[in-house]
Amino acid sequence: MHYQHNRTLALFYCQNVPGAGERERIGLEKEYGQCIRFYPIACSGRLEPVHLLSALENFADAAYLITCPEGMCRYFEGNLRAIKRVMRTQDIISGIGLEKERVGIITGSKEGPKTLAELAKEIFDKVLQMEPSPVLGKGERSYDYCATEAH
Amino acid sequence: MITAQQKPIDEIRGMLVPYKRILVLGCASCVAECAAGGQKETAMLASTLRMKAKMNNEDVIIQEHTLDRQCVKDFVVTLDDIIGSYDAVLSLGCGAGVQAVAEMFSEIPVIPGLNTEFIGETRAQGLWVENCLGCGDCMLYYFGGVCPLARCSKQLFNGPCGGSVGGKCEINPDVDCAWQKIIDRLSRFGALDRLETIYPPKNWSRKQGGGPRKIIREDQQR
Repeated sequence: MHYQHNRTLALFYCQNVPGAGERERIGLEKEYGQCIRFYPIACSGRLEPVHLLSALENFADAAYLITCPEGMCRYFEGNLRAIKRVMRTQDIISGIGLEKERVGIITGSKEGPKTLAELAKEIFDKVLQMEPSPVLGKGERSYDYCATEAH
Repeated sequence: MITAQQKPIDEIRGMLVPYKRILVLGCASCVAECAAGGQKETAMLASTLRMKAKMNNEDVIIQEHTLDRQCVKDFVVTLDDIIGSYDAVLSLGCGAGVQAVAEMFSEIPVIPGLNTEFIGETRAQGLWVENCLGCGDCMLYYFGGVCPLARCSKQLFNGPCGGSVGGKCEINPDVDCAWQKIIDRLSRFGALDRLETIYPPKNWSRKQGGGPRKIIREDQQR
């Protein structure tokens, strides 16, 4: 299965999320093509607002972060810091008239942990409900942009 | 350290309206430490402005650059090679940085992107507090290293007002009573006798009475 949609999601994720190994990432990249760009990071606390803003500015209709569950950060409080940074980014984009929902954070659950693949699908389904980003415009991303063939 | 905060985005955009080629200029010193105008914040603001411009179909070029220090001529002069490409500079330096750039490049408008706040310290991550007024006549020795001018809400020079409760200021309970701290510290050093002196009102002429202040050190000059 592969996706052909004229939306692009920048998906940053903590490598501690279940199913976030390199093999799984490569599989997901083949499945989603350019519709989702995957950015593994050693800890979600390393993400800065500028990373999310840069993604929104250059190619993404939405930029999301998946963190490990609260209390399970290998670096103790990386996922807590990430929440504040995502909220700051939401404030920045709403200040220029972009919907806050174009940036978001999903914190994994300890009880019922979901894999990267499951969360990626959930987030991308949400992105598909959004209008194309007014930053990128409808014309700049042709349909083909996201129509990468699966190998 | 000089602290600052970014101006509201609408105010910044309002000042940039006449210009088509804009350089967002950060400063990697004090304003980087207080997360207002360093390299990261410069990239964020430039990106935000570019996004807004794209949303409005505005034909503008917005690029960013960060100097190690905007308030030192030796660093500002390095802009010489690139500044000609821009109509305006949006400076994320403190007020001194903005003016240093404007002084050197008098032909180009330099717009402040920050509100310069105060001289302070980084007390914790994400927390900056004022602790110096730059009065030009430091008296921290007499007050155990705690400045009653900067840290006492009433700027009292000769003892506490008596209104503090539990070591907190009666005007703002989030603020430690400066005089409680002064007395605690001087007691610890066995130096409470320093408070027996009656200190006259502050001579503010050394701060701002004679216009802009200047420090001249001939041994540092060329």
